[in-house]
Amino acid sequence: MPTIGFAGMTHLGINSAAASAARGFRTIGFDADASLIAQLIASKPTVVEPGLPELLHEYRAKLSFASDPAALAPCDVVYISPDVPTDDAGQSELAGIRALIDSVTPHLGEAALLVVLCQVPPGFTRSLAIPESRRFYQVETLVFGRAVERATRPERFMIGCAEPARALPDALAQFLRSFDCPVLAMRYESAELAKIAINCCLVASVTVANTLAELSERIGADWSEIAPALRLDRRIGQHAYLAPGLGLAGGNLERDLATLLRLADETGSHMELVRALVANSGHRRDWALRVLWETVLTRIDDPVIAVLGLAYKQDTHSTKNSASIALLASLGTVRARVFDPVVPASMAPHARCHAAKSELDACEGADALAVMTPWEQFRKIDPRDLARRMRGRVVLDPYALMNAAACRGAGLAYYTLGVS
Amino acid sequence: MVNHQSAQPQAPKRVVLIGARGFIGMALRRRLEDEGIAQLALGSVDVNLTEPASVERLVTQLRPEDAVVMLAALTPDKGRDAGTLMRNLAMMQHVCAAIEKTGCAHLTYFSSDAVYNLAVSQVTEDTPASPQDLYGAMHYTREIMAKSLAQTPVLVLRPTLVYGVDDTHNAYGPNRFRRAAHKDGKITLFGAGEETRDHIHVDDVAALTVRCLLHKSTGTLNLATGRSISFKELARLVAAQFGKPVEIVETARANPITHRHYDVTHLIKAFPKFRFIPLEEGIARAHREMSARG
Repeated sequence: MPTIGFAGMTHLGINSAAASAARGFRTIGFDADASLIAQLIASKPTVVEPGLPELLHEYRAKLSFASDPAALAPCDVVYISPDVPTDDAGQSELAGIRALIDSVTPHLGEAALLVVLCQVPPGFTRSLAIPESRRFYQVETLVFGRAVERATRPERFMIGCAEPARALPDALAQFLRSFDCPVLAMRYESAELAKIAINCCLVASVTVANTLAELSERIGADWSEIAPALRLDRRIGQHAYLAPGLGLAGGNLERDLATLLRLADETGSHMELVRALVANSGHRRDWALRVLWETVLTRIDDPVIAVLGLAYKQDTHSTKNSASIALLASLGTVRARVFDPVVPASMAPHARCHAAKSELDACEGADALAVMTPWEQFRKIDPRDLARRMRGRVVLDPYALMNAAACRGAGLAYYTLGVS
Repeated sequence: MVNHQSAQPQAPKRVVLIGARGFIGMALRRRLEDEGIAQLALGSVDVNLTEPASVERLVTQLRPEDAVVMLAALTPDKGRDAGTLMRNLAMMQHVCAAIEKTGCAHLTYFSSDAVYNLAVSQVTEDTPASPQDLYGAMHYTREIMAKSLAQTPVLVLRPTLVYGVDDTHNAYGPNRFRRAAHKDGKITLFGAGEETRDHIHVDDVAALTVRCLLHKSTGTLNLATGRSISFKELARLVAAQFGKPVEIVETARANPITHRHYDVTHLIKAFPKFRFIPLEEGIARAHREMSARG
């Protein structure tokens, strides 16, 4: 069996390496950060991902980690797998990945294959100074919070290569076949754009849901009644992204839209759809602020707002483009009590922020509650406990974690997405 | 959107109002007085901005530490032609020339929502300006003239339909409806009054302007409430203020129906605790004030 290497041990690399080991391949993970490697050796990953510590521990015999790139020398396939950061405009910062490739390639064997796994814009892989026969791009489909599931049971592989009609090299083909899913070979640029196309479709779907959910709120419809009907349409599907949310967050979807807009600017392609997706995301991100403004901020002097959740979604520590962080930044001098199971309150960009010890502690004396991240544990909140602890009655539950009728039964004024 | 140059509110040393005797100017003067902020109120009788000599006249009045609020404009009822446009631009040219000579701590330019295309039904500060007439083109040009001033922090305010008892204009809306109901006992609508618009009370315009002055805000801000109602609903609101029946008359529609809604999220972010005067209360207040004056 080939030996598989992963260079870059952040979210993407760690999960992918764990999945490789779980398929029985000898797997070597490299990162120049020695402290990060030390934690991985101890099966204590620095990223929050359900099931990851267990997977690392279970397959530790197949896994090794090193902070010296020379450790990758025995590998038949080396994935370039760091998370690529984005700047404030959502554009990928590629200097780091180029430096990583430069640091790794001198240590690879003559026949070793290099596969770019991280998110890069179309044209990146072709630009690398590595022989085409050894140079590949693979679309990553990692989802924060479901990374282990996505890495161990992929739906398909999309591989960018110089000549799609030619069979993939044995080592790469053997590795990919082990996951027992379709492998689609295509030219480099197609694969790089395929990644963006997937995300663009997801964003379009979410934006349809967000747009019509807002309209539902204003005309007396209930989006939660509509979405199941759409899912039964085969052209839309059971797994369509139809749950309304608070705009795009996390950075990856935003990165792809930014890439499309840049390419449109450069090529003259019509891209008003994408501009509309971006604008709608910004609009929906401020939903909670607008509701709080109408119900509390303009009615109560010196109100206290309880905010549950800082992460941009559940099961992650990431706050990139988090709607909760945006809300707290907009609340200015309004007092806030904040709790997140993973993210410390010190991350909140807010001067009058109290770090609560628990969900209910955050609600103590609050005039309004905004549940801004759909952490599973927030589903267990009893509305009657809220009513007892809160000074006010307003509850914003955009993700509908709580039972609306139970909230109203407890005397709370309940607001969620998609219904008035 | 706007950025507050002063995170904490801090009164300017003096506010100079240019165009102080107009509808908004008078409300702003009252508000500044209430807040105890020093002001210099200039009207067209003090300085005729259409004349080149107004530059030197202003130079003798302005101080570098002043916060200047430019409200003066020849409104559409004074003319919608190219000549009015050029006179309006000359007025701004003279104000800018004076500020270039004296400097000022902060400039607020009162623009208008006429810079937006009326066909755009949803407007934010990010909506591209696309004026459809010379009045809107005038305001947008003046905005650019203001922002072109070197080293002057500039705020552009774009009020939507402003109402209040002192409105001297008779534009289609609350003021005309109230006067018509009072005089004729009836309110005449265009079509069935289907169009929706956002109406802001002049006291809210003044209050928001003073907040911007206190924070030395820069950027662009729409002055709108975020709530739009149809002219028919508005007519009913106005009619309900009268003790006698007021007829609401519909007419044949001459123009297509247009709607206008404001997303005021940027305003909320700038002033999270600001409370607008509800339209019902504002209409009632204007009615009481009109009645008290006889």
